[in-house]
Amino acid sequence: MMKYLFFILIPICSWGQPNCNVYLYNKDTLQYRACKSVEYVPFYQYTKQYQERFDKALQICPYFAYAYKAKSTAYLKSGDFLTWKYLIDKAVEYDTLSYIGYRGWCKYQFFRDYEGAIEDIEYLEDKFNSINVGYSAGGEYHLIVAKAICYSALDDKKKAIDILEDLFANKEYNVGLFDYYQLAVTYFQVRDYINASKYLVKQSEINEIAENAYYKAKIAKLNGNDEIYLREKNKAIQLYKDRRMLFDDYTEPFNKVYLATIMKD
Amino acid sequence: MYRLILLSFFIPTFTGCQSPLKKTNESVGDISFESSMDKRDFILCDSNNIKQYHNNQKGLEYEGEKIAIVEEFRRNYVPVKCTNCDGLIRIRFIVNCKGETDRFRLISMNEKYENKNFNSEITEQLLTICKGLNGWIPKKIDEREIDYYQYLIFKIKDGKIVEIMP
Repeated sequence: MMKYLFFILIPICSWGQPNCNVYLYNKDTLQYRACKSVEYVPFYQYTKQYQERFDKALQICPYFAYAYKAKSTAYLKSGDFLTWKYLIDKAVEYDTLSYIGYRGWCKYQFFRDYEGAIEDIEYLEDKFNSINVGYSAGGEYHLIVAKAICYSALDDKKKAIDILEDLFANKEYNVGLFDYYQLAVTYFQVRDYINASKYLVKQSEINEIAENAYYKAKIAKLNGNDEIYLREKNKAIQLYKDRRMLFDDYTEPFNKVYLATIMKD
Repeated sequence: MYRLILLSFFIPTFTGCQSPLKKTNESVGDISFESSMDKRDFILCDSNNIKQYHNNQKGLEYEGEKIAIVEEFRRNYVPVKCTNCDGLIRIRFIVNCKGETDRFRLISMNEKYENKNFNSEITEQLLTICKGLNGWIPKKIDEREIDYYQYLIFKIKDGKIVEIMP
């Protein structure tokens, strides 16, 4: 039942502009009016005009969670963790299920707050009792993969591996563009090179990136296979130069490998 | 009655979730010139149109990439022995169209996202190293060189830098 409820809730839960009619349907005219007032905001998130439009929406409806989230974005991107947290906590307070996953992802992505991110994502998992907890703000990772990344960053590699293996074995789950790479690197870090290789190959099949070739080269070097080592290393350098690598406009992706490291190793 | 008055007197102390929002005429994160701390000879190409580091979709741009910044701090930052020295420190500044930097501003928090003042031995070192970074790449948008805001966030644990963001 919860599974179906989740899909019904998706139009409300998405992190973009909500569908104002949902509020009208629920006879919440205050939120409806606030929502309509920001249906079209032709200003950049950082500007005073943008912030003021959402301040006015909050004057109409002080519990309009989306306005808090919208206001928080520029603070997040400018690294102002104090103001961001104040605003996003308000959004989560007034509409927990819609924004707690987003808050968890941002805690991880922008502030490397691994424990905080895990707490928020696990809250959603408990509520929905399923894997349908949503994706990162940019859509690159499922939130359960993000949770595994956080455990890996906290050096609980076994837990990270278990989470990812369970998720990938779930028939409801569609593997993401960088998922196999993250699992492969985690196996590599616990020196399980057989499983690391297995997932590096799987990653190549869906989306080859410089970092993936780099780890293949590292394993070949460990195995004393100079031919494969050089081939994969050169491939990694070329992929990097072609910008086929882990990249994000705002922050450094997890397990990112820089060109200098690829060249040196 | 006496209790009510006493209670109202303490309310600001008890409310741990006060808004950090400030009413200003500026955009979020803008840094105005302050004669007491900023260089007079730090020239901007267009002071009315300072962009953000992510506006050209190339992220942080530094000679040798971010790993070179991490290396600078690894070589130059001396960990400070102190207790209660955990949290985040953000240094925000402007990179002008020539790749020069100034207008450094600092905020910091503890692990609960609460405002926190760090030991000055930590913050002074971070500021000094940050001001010494000279590999910032001038960014362009539509072939025009721009001034832009950049920040670095330092995750501090027991007086040591454990991560640098973004």
